[in-house]
This record gives sequence, structure tokens and C-alpha cells, in this order.
Amino acid sequence: MSANTGLTNQQREFRWAMVFMSPWIVGFLVFMAGPMLWSLWLSFTDYDPLRANTAFVGLDNYRELLVDPEVRTSLWNTVFFTVFYVPGTIASGLALALLLQRVGRAVGFFRTAFYLPNITPAVAVGALFLLLLNGRDGLVNQALRAIGLPGPSWLNDPAWIKPGVILMMLWSVGSTVIIYLAALQNVPRDLYEAAEVDGAGAWHKFRYITLPMISGAIFFTLIINTIASLQLFTEVYAMFFGGQESGAAGQAALFYVIYLFRNAFEFFAMGYASALAWVLFVVIGIITVIQVKTSKRWVYYEGD
Amino acid sequence: MAVQPAPRSLVPSVSRPEAVVDTTTPDGFGPGRVMRKAVFVVALVAVTALFVYPLIWLLSASLKPPAEVFSSDFIGSEVRWDNYTRLFQMAPILTWGWNSLVVTLLGATAVTFSSAMVAFAFSYFRFRYRDGLFLLVLATMMLPGAVLMIPQFLIWDGLGLNNTLYPLWAGNLFGSAFYIFMLRQFLLTLPRELFEAARVDGAGYFRLWWNIALPLTRSALIVVFLFELKVLWTDLVRPLIFLRDVQLFTLPRGLKAIIDNPAIGGQQQWELLAAGSVLVTLPMVVLFFIFQRYFTEGIATTGSTGR
Amino acid sequence: MRARSTASGLALALIAAACGGGGAGGVGDNTPQGEEITAAPSDAQASLFVFGATYETGDEIAKTRVDRFQELYPSVDVEFSESGFEEQPFLSALASGDPPDVVNIPRNQLGTFIARGVLDPLDSCLEAEGIDMGVFYESAVEQVTVEGVAYAVPEFFNSRLWMINTKAFEDAGLNPDEFDFSDWDAIADANEKLTKGGNRPTRLGIDPKLPEFLPLWAVANGTPVISDDGMESQLDDPAVAEALEFANSLHEPAGGRTSFLDFRDTWDFFGAKNQFAQDQLAAMPMEQWYLTVLAEASPDVDLTVRPFETRDGEPITWADGNSWAIPAESQDKAAACAFIRAMTEKDAWLAAAEARAQTAKKENQPNTGVYTGNREADEEIFANLDLGEWPWLEEAVQVVRDVQEHAWSLPPSPASAQFENAYKAAGDEVMNQGTDAEQVLTQADERVQREIDRAAR
Repeated sequence: MSANTGLTNQQREFRWAMVFMSPWIVGFLVFMAGPMLWSLWLSFTDYDPLRANTAFVGLDNYRELLVDPEVRTSLWNTVFFTVFYVPGTIASGLALALLLQRVGRAVGFFRTAFYLPNITPAVAVGALFLLLLNGRDGLVNQALRAIGLPGPSWLNDPAWIKPGVILMMLWSVGSTVIIYLAALQNVPRDLYEAAEVDGAGAWHKFRYITLPMISGAIFFTLIINTIASLQLFTEVYAMFFGGQESGAAGQAALFYVIYLFRNAFEFFAMGYASALAWVLFVVIGIITVIQVKTSKRWVYYEGD
Repeated sequence: MAVQPAPRSLVPSVSRPEAVVDTTTPDGFGPGRVMRKAVFVVALVAVTALFVYPLIWLLSASLKPPAEVFSSDFIGSEVRWDNYTRLFQMAPILTWGWNSLVVTLLGATAVTFSSAMVAFAFSYFRFRYRDGLFLLVLATMMLPGAVLMIPQFLIWDGLGLNNTLYPLWAGNLFGSAFYIFMLRQFLLTLPRELFEAARVDGAGYFRLWWNIALPLTRSALIVVFLFELKVLWTDLVRPLIFLRDVQLFTLPRGLKAIIDNPAIGGQQQWELLAAGSVLVTLPMVVLFFIFQRYFTEGIATTGSTGR
Repeated sequence: MRARSTASGLALALIAAACGGGGAGGVGDNTPQGEEITAAPSDAQASLFVFGATYETGDEIAKTRVDRFQELYPSVDVEFSESGFEEQPFLSALASGDPPDVVNIPRNQLGTFIARGVLDPLDSCLEAEGIDMGVFYESAVEQVTVEGVAYAVPEFFNSRLWMINTKAFEDAGLNPDEFDFSDWDAIADANEKLTKGGNRPTRLGIDPKLPEFLPLWAVANGTPVISDDGMESQLDDPAVAEALEFANSLHEPAGGRTSFLDFRDTWDFFGAKNQFAQDQLAAMPMEQWYLTVLAEASPDVDLTVRPFETRDGEPITWADGNSWAIPAESQDKAAACAFIRAMTEKDAWLAAAEARAQTAKKENQPNTGVYTGNREADEEIFANLDLGEWPWLEEAVQVVRDVQEHAWSLPPSPASAQFENAYKAAGDEVMNQGTDAEQVLTQADERVQREIDRAAR
């Protein structure tokens, strides 16, 4: 073989590996690495696609960020949402997975049912919740009133807009449930049996066997959900922004990526928007690193 | 987390019944147990209703007369099919649906094959830097889309492809880290001897990929295809950024336009908004029901739901 | 190795092309020098794409004028975007080098585009087609002119006035025809008397229309939100804060803004059971086109219309409307110019008004006329209006006509989009968070002033 081509097998393998990898390499350079660097450079300019003269403004955009009240508002909104949504989705996902675990053969049916919200397009979820959360007539308030609770004005009262968004996003907990269910089903039976022999109760088993054994799955969903909720956009944008007046929601629903989007594509202030994007990147990076580092304390791996 | 190899069923279900039903209630048989069971069933039904009912309600709301949209009756005083016909008249729904179909099918196909290619590179071949490069691939999964949004807009603009459907799917020609990762896991489980035997028979690398690797990972490829179908069908961000002409909108973008435009539906004509939402969601529900096994297995394996 | 370097080379090339392409594709290279335009002959052949206007889904006012244009220029093909003006698609079109030939823009959004140089100065167009800017209302002309050069031609003229539920006022012992709207204390008192239902209102007293109408309240209090040249934000002026706080306080008797809004959301605003017909509102400042809505939906409503007043007792209105402009990169400016002329000249308006009169007569509804930006057209249209059957409307129209001469408009500003966003966001924050108005407005002022300075560079 090598006589034919003049190359060693190893070299030929390398070439062919490159050929097979080429789509990703091109994509990476053109659509990821290039853009990353470009966006970093943009963040130091005042680039506006319609203007001829782009100036290099150094750290001006970043300084502006620090004093921009809407940055503060949108960061607050985003962090608020994340802090309540992520633990909420993990806790409810786990609870539901434990519930489903006892179901038996019909678990497939329930898994499908639980996952339905996840296949509903995000825009439709937004539209659906515009209807469900309607302060006067929405189903949510109808249900609340039926059990004697007052129904807040989810869409007009700025104090209730974020809780409404959290509620909406929690509706899609199905995928988390499925992940936890799979993890639960992988916990070896004999661990439980051994514990029972020692007289362990339900809580004890949960706390010392179940939780550690699925901690890997919990860790994974923690990271994924945190990163995703810090970038929440579609559902909220569909409901409160775009062509329409934002009305009461204006500031209460302004999430960080929405503000970024506006600066980029509605004001065409792409330099500033790029700075906003990099700040987000750094924030996500820091939070993820913290989560990973502290995970060593509570995540249990099979091999340990 | 442990990796599940391909050939075995990914969902440990009734094959291990002990893992599924907890029979260790201390009460044994007796009133306590029956109570618990009842509570359990009630909880299960209630929770299931929470997930399913809103969609059913949406469907019923879309068929009600405008004044009754919010009522909790399942069927209104009359069934208004004309809500849908009105919607079709007011907005180019069919065009939108067609655009969505084009983007979704092209994009899902593109990403499946390109990711399979790259995954093959990382699984079959052995070369220096392989592991380092793969880590890089994984790292890109952490890139926030927001950082790439603006330059990608400028790139497509520079190529003159703004306001076309290309930016919505052509990025998929280059594979996607998530699917590369997933497919690589599957490919790694294929016995190397299969490939070696073919090589001995004179097969080139491409044939190894096309004739051996692909067919053997068929179910994983289907999962990738389906996941990406869902991601592309439901995407709003790319159409928002790249599309201008109303005739080019995809269904989600069109639904957003309906929300925004009081003349068409929006906040004055809730029944039309509901109808539009149903139209956007229905294809996904149908797809899901037909292929649910692939969806749920795919999530359980990879721990996620597509990019 | 080779594959990789080729790939990176390709990538770099693409990026370079995009960088350069961005400039070439965009419009920024030009300093605005209008091309020399000559009048388009009636047999001119052209194809125009009009962004920001509708034909198929438009009303007879739009269709009549377009049809008339078609008759005058039968070989010009006109296509409409069938959507209202939206900033993002327009910007995107400009950036891609694919601009519309004619664009219909709300006048208070012109500033950003003029500052970026994407709209053609219309000197040669005005001259070629004989458009005399003097026939338009002054405040409208001011909105389309920057440094003495006109960039757009005004289309409609929207003024804002007090619309009053006559019976509600009378029941509360107030005389709607003589109520002193320059006395803010009186307004506050009236608001309390007129609000019914307390925290779960069944009728709102006075709807201040915040945050959108902040500019109106501010100018009534003596200080416009922005300087006349559009370059200095005046949001930090105490008078503006005072105006915001006062207008916001009008929500109180109804239990605060949330319950206020909740109730307002239930109104059938465009329908026969609107808030005036159902006694759900006592008074609000509103654009005059709502009179047309009421005339069609509930012609027997008892409405009194009064001009908005400054605190010095002078009538004032906040006017705006849309306008027609030609993008600098438009393909066929001569045809575009002819189109603009044909859409805004007196005869076009008269034809449109006639069409409306016919429709109104057929439906046995009042003919409310049409408020164009063209003073000459307005004079003839309103001279021929017969509203005898609806005295409230007859008086209302007269009030509108009178107040048009006392109009203030938002001047064009290089950062008009950000400015609008700034005062609305500030208004929202004061209303929803209860933050001190002066504090919020000062912050907003600093920030938006930076935006303006940057945009003006």
C-alpha cells in the first residue's frame, strides 16, 4: 500500500481524518473562532453598519456598560430568574422523577406526556402563556381563584412578571425529569437492599444513596440550565418585545440577551452590543467554573 | 456519567422491575398502603394534567368564538373552524409553513451527515492531537450564542445572503459539537474488526464511513435528525436576525408577527393567536408521537435535548 | 496539514470579504449629496418598492392616492411591503445594500436615519417635481428638516387633544366645555371625583397615557424633553420630572398603575362598546384619529373635545405623523420623487377625502375627513365637511383644526430611537418601581446625551 502512495499509513490516516473533520474545522474557523475574535474587536469600537466612520474607542463601551441603568436592570432580571428557576427546575424535576419511578410499565406514556411542553415551539409557549397568565381571565388565575387565592396581574404588574416567566419556563421541566428518571433507574438495587437490612428509612435511603448516586445527573442539569437561563430570550421576547409597545413589562421583563439584541439590531449599536456579549460570556464562564470547582464536594462518581 | 453503548436498549425499564416499583413500604398491605397509593395516583394525574392540559386548552381556545376564548368550557357555544380560515386569509401561513419545512429538512440533513463525518474522524482514526481537538470541539458547546450573533450577521450580510433562508440552515453544513459528541460515543462502540476487515478487502475510508459506520449507527443518526428537526422548526432567533420579507418568514417568526400585529391577531383577537400557536405546534406534536421512542431515548442518553 | 491551512485561509478570506463587504454593502460611505433628479415623465418606466406602507390591507385613503398615482404614471410598477414601518427590517435592508426605493417613516424616527446619511436630501426632488414645503404645517416641516435641508415630505398630521366623556364630567359637577386644563391641581381634583370603584375601578378618571405621552406633559409644563435642534436632552430639567410625577399621580385613585392597567386592558377600545360608550373613562389625551374610530363604532357617543393646554393657559398639541423619504441608495429616484409628490399633493388628498366621504355616506356614518400634513388640502377638505347630524363631531373637528396651528413636535435627533427608548424606560421605572422621577430622569439624560453626542459625530 505505502508503495502506491509514497506515504506511511499514519500519514494517510491523518490526511483522511482531516478530510472527515474538514466541515467542522471550516465551521469552527469561519463561524466560531473568527466571530469570537471579531466580536472582541468590535467591542472596542463604535461600529454601526450604516456609518462610514468606525472609531476605535478602547474601553468606552465597557465603561458605558457599568453606568447604563438598563444593564443593571437586565442583569438583575436575568440573575433573579436564574436563581429561582434553576433550583426550582432541579427540585421539581427530581420530585417528578421520583414520582414516575414508581409507575411501572406505563412509564412510557407519562414520559411522553411530561415531555410535550418541551416540543412546543418557544414562540407558541410564549403565546400560550400570554393567554394563560392573562390577569383577568387566564386559566392560571381562574384556578387560583377557584381555591380562594387572589390572582395577581401576571402581565401588567411588574412585580409578578418575572414569577410568571419562571412559571412558564418550569412548565418545560419534562426533559429534566427524563434525565433524572434514567439516572434513578441506574442506581443499583442492592445498595437499597443493603441499607434496608441495616434498618434505613425512606429519607435515609434518599439522602445517602439516591442523591449521591444521581449527583452526576444533577450536576449536569445544573450547569446546562444555568447557562441556558442566563441567556433566556425567545419566550420572553415573543411575549413582551418586538413590534409592540412593551407597556408595563418594559423594564421588568428586560432580560440581558434581549437588551443585547436591541442594541445590536434595533439601535445598530454593534460595538456596544458586542461589549455586552463579552461581559455575558465572562459571567457565564465564571459561574460555570465556580460550579465545576465546588462540584467536587458533592458530586459522586462511580469510580471513586 | 456512564456512557450507554448503542446496541443495548438505552432505557432501562421493565427489564429490571425491582428498580421501578418500590415495594418496601413498611406497612405491607393495609389501609396505610391503599391511602398512599391513592395519593400517588392523584398526584400523578394532577401533574400529568399540568403538562398536557394547557395544550388541549389551546386547541379548544382556537376553535371558540372570540368572546369565549378564556372560558374553561371545553367546547364553546359553537365550533369556529373559521378562526383558522380567517387566519389563513390574513397571513401567508402556507408560505411560512413551506419555508419552515425547507429550512428544517435541509438543516437537519446537513447537520446529520456533517456531524457523522466529523464524529467518524474522531472515533475511527488515530492521530496526534485527536484528543486535544476533541476537547476543543466540546469546549465550543459552551460558547454563548449571543457572542457570535453579531459577527455571524455581518458575515452572512457580507456574503449577500441576508434576507434569504440560507443563514437559517447553511451553518449546519459544518456539523455541530453536540451531535458530534453524541455520534462519536456510538461510533466508539463499533468493533474495530469490522472496519479492518473491510480495509483488507480494499475499501477506502469513505466507504468505511458510508457503508459500515452509518448503517450501524442508524438509530443514533435518526435521533440526531429528529432533535435538529425540532431545534430548527422552533427557532426564532435566526429568523429574527436574518429575515426581512414577510414572505420569507418561518412559522415561529410568523407567529411572532401575529402577536405583534393587532390588525392580524395579536392582543385583540386571542382566538387567532391560539389558532396560530396550534398550527406552529401541531407538526411537532405529530412528529413527536410518531418517533417518541427516539426522542426519549436520545434525551436519556445524552442528557439534553439537542443544541 | 494542508487541509487545515486551506481552511484557515478560506476563513480569513471570508472574514475579510465580510469586513469590506459590510462597508460596501452598507450606505455609510456617502456624505449626503442628493443626486440631481429630473421630473419623471408620465410614461416613465420604473419599478418601485415601497417600504412601510400597505395597499392591499390599506384603507380607501391610501388606495385612492395610489390608484391616482398609477393613472398618472401607468408604466411604473409599485410594490408595497404591506407592513407598517419597522426599524429593524429597514436597517437590515440598508445594511445589506438592498434598500427600498421609497420609505414611509414616522416623522419622529427620521432623525437617526438622517444622521446616518441613509436618506437623500430632497432639494433636487422638491425642485424637479415642484413640491412646495410651504404648503405643509410648520411643525411637520420642522420634523423633516435638518440644517435647512428637507429629507422627507409629511403625510398625515396627528394632533393630541383632550377627549372627554361629557356625561361623566357633568355628573361630577364639572363643565367639560370650560374646565381649566391648565390648572393641574384642578385636574388632580377632578381625577379623584371622576374615578369610580377605588382599587377595583369601574371607571377611570383621567388616563395620563404614560409613558408615551410624557413629551406632551413636559411641554405643557414649559420644558420640552429635548432641545429644538434635537441635540440636547432636557430630561434632567426639573420641569420634566415634575410633569412625569404629576401625570403618574393620576393613577392613584384607581389603586395604582397595575389595577389601572388591568382595568384598561378590558376596554373594547376599537369597538362599539368602547370606554366612552360604556362610561369606563372620563377623559384622556388622544390622537385625533380616534375620533374617526368613535364615529364609526359609536357615532352617538357624547364626547367633548378640548385642546391640551400649557400651564400658562395656552393651547398646545403634540403633533406627529408619518412622512415619505427616499433612501440614498434608492434605485430610481426620479420615479420615487414623483410617487412622493403624487401621494402628498392637494389633489391626491382631495380625491382621498372624496372617497372617504362616499364610503361614509354609504354606511351612513359621519365623514370625519382626513388630517393631512398639507394645510391647503386640509382647508378644502374641512370646508366641505357636513357633520350636522353629529354636533359633537362638528365641534370636535373644529377644535382639532384650531389646535393644529399650535403644534409642537419632537425635533429630529441623531439618536431618536435611543431617545424615545430612554424617556419611555424612565417613565416605566418611575411608574413601576416608584423611583424618584428626578433621579431616574437625570440618569437617563446622561446616558442618552452620550448617545446623541456619539451619533452626531
